[in-house]
Amino acid sequence: MNATTSDIQTTRTICGYCGVGCSLDLVTRDNRIIAVHPAFDGPANEGALCVKGQFAYDYVHHPDRLSHPLVRDGEGRLRQASWEEALDRAAQGFMDVLQKHGRHAVYGVASGRTPSEANYMMQKFIRVGFGTNYIDNCSRA
Amino acid sequence: MSNPLADMEKPDVIFCIGTNMTEAHPVAATRLKKALARGAKMIVADPRRIRLAEMADLYLPIRVGSDTALLLGMAHVIVREGLADLEFIATRTEGYDELVDHLQEKTPEWAASITGVPAAQIEEAAILYGSSDRAAIYYTLGITEHICGVENVQSLCNLALLTGNFGREGTGVNPMRGQNNIQGAGDSGALPNNYAGFQPVDDAANQAKFEKAYGRRVDLEKGITKVTALEQCGDRIFGMLIDGENTVVSDPDQEHCIHALKSLEHLVVIDIFLTETAELADVVLPAASWAETDGHFVNTERRIQRVRKAVDSPGEARPDWWIIGQIARRMGMSGFDYDSPVPIFNELCALSPIYNGIDWELAESGQYQWPIPYRGHPGTPRLHEGAFINGRGKFSFTDYRDPAETIDEDYPLWLTTGRRLESYHTRTQTGRSEGINDLLPEETLEVHPGDAARYGLREGGWARMSSRRGAVDVRVETTRRSPQGTVFASFSFADVPINVLTGSGYDPITHTAELKVCPVHVEPIAEKAQLAAD
Repeated sequence: MNATTSDIQTTRTICGYCGVGCSLDLVTRDNRIIAVHPAFDGPANEGALCVKGQFAYDYVHHPDRLSHPLVRDGEGRLRQASWEEALDRAAQGFMDVLQKHGRHAVYGVASGRTPSEANYMMQKFIRVGFGTNYIDNCSRA
Repeated sequence: MSNPLADMEKPDVIFCIGTNMTEAHPVAATRLKKALARGAKMIVADPRRIRLAEMADLYLPIRVGSDTALLLGMAHVIVREGLADLEFIATRTEGYDELVDHLQEKTPEWAASITGVPAAQIEEAAILYGSSDRAAIYYTLGITEHICGVENVQSLCNLALLTGNFGREGTGVNPMRGQNNIQGAGDSGALPNNYAGFQPVDDAANQAKFEKAYGRRVDLEKGITKVTALEQCGDRIFGMLIDGENTVVSDPDQEHCIHALKSLEHLVVIDIFLTETAELADVVLPAASWAETDGHFVNTERRIQRVRKAVDSPGEARPDWWIIGQIARRMGMSGFDYDSPVPIFNELCALSPIYNGIDWELAESGQYQWPIPYRGHPGTPRLHEGAFINGRGKFSFTDYRDPAETIDEDYPLWLTTGRRLESYHTRTQTGRSEGINDLLPEETLEVHPGDAARYGLREGGWARMSSRRGAVDVRVETTRRSPQGTVFASFSFADVPINVLTGSGYDPITHTAELKVCPVHVEPIAEKAQLAAD
């Protein structure tokens, strides 16, 4: 491997673990993270990172990552599906519950791990789709 | 946090309670270490002799679940010793006279009888906190994960209000948020009682505002919490969409939780791994991970910071916002035609008074801490300067009550749960990161040597730990970090599912589970058994 500095990119982002919000640079090559550098101009961390933020990034490229949608088949097993099929199944299931049990029968759980844009979408999905406030995030447990 | 992280280097006196900061928020703890090096004094109240306790000038080893008693005792001493800031009280608070009456009986001797901390140490802590010019309180889930979590927080606010420790550098009441964007989740309206920007849903003006924005009238009634929703699964709740939460391992009373999710007619889980929760779903949708997505995280000091995509997702994994939007569109909902996260964030900003002053472009700098009420506003690193948002600071007349379950002959030990430095939550990520997994490959139960002798446990041997809800097998680590009568384990390891045991009670207002207190029984066993999870 004759890597040159031009193959290497850095991307400024925020650590994905605790709520301190340390700034860091993701060092990448060939679409893989090869290192994490603490950001000395990060307002929350001023160059510091903990053992998780500095080193625990392998999971991003772990073979266990879900790479395709899954749907449960007639025998109760999860099988690979296309986005078309999985999204149709997801939507149809909620429409069925809505029709059968009413709009207070569907609940949304948003994540404290995802970006705010995902959280905003989750609450909008519940409020626009069902006209309820049946939405929460994972802060209570 | 009421105050910015930078303020952690500024107090004269630091009071940490229910926070294992060196393990759960290590980088924030480095700021406290700087304050200590500068000469600040530190009081630490925690059932366990954690690293922070070792660094403290005064360590208060309180019995689990007795925080309110300690804080009332301290407030009593502050008033008795004439340490109350009467000018601050007169100009910025209400209810002081009633509080003085309320505190009459809450003597340090009374607090000592509940907390197990000698009255003299409670007095010393109160005098240290009450006499300094700049005193700051830091707390984490050791305060909130109790049936009295709200009273605990209110009791902390009483201390800061009594001594005028709000709205100035190096002061405040500062919760350390546990997850990278748990603050942003609340800010964005993923709550049953608030729209985005903490606008209450039961206010008709807010209902009208969002009806106009969303083209759909939303209930004026608050929704139910996740805790209640899980209780109603199969009864009133039949469909659930869960994004990025391993509910089965993180939530209390695991058997109840699995049963609840299995009784749904339709469960859709969005995640990056096939978690224990995703395994129960009818549809599993693969999400982009943290390094593969653009958006924002909001940190514990209310700082809105940009997250940037650095690598492509594996296979067909897609960003959460795209996935949710696609489901909405297939259900015929309008207002979900986003082609990037940019208009989503801008919509959130436009609808949230605390974000009104920024948009995607302005947030790039990462300099803004909310509230940012209008364009050109610099943001608000420090809350409550000069005035409280809602008028005067109200004293709360809190009282001590026992945890939901207390120790008895059958369950004679207190179990308290928490985090460890090397693991994050249910280890879906850190368990798949090689180096870090080597540092902490398995869960252990912290047991005081005295308890180990009493219950026949040995270092490195196996114990079966049971509560009123279930049992787990766990390897024993004898240590004086946990006091006699109290054992500790984290909930991180799915093969030692500590949350099979927990779930004795919930705070009646917030529905936060009492994960910090669970009476248990321990006995030695020859080797770990394979306990069925369902």
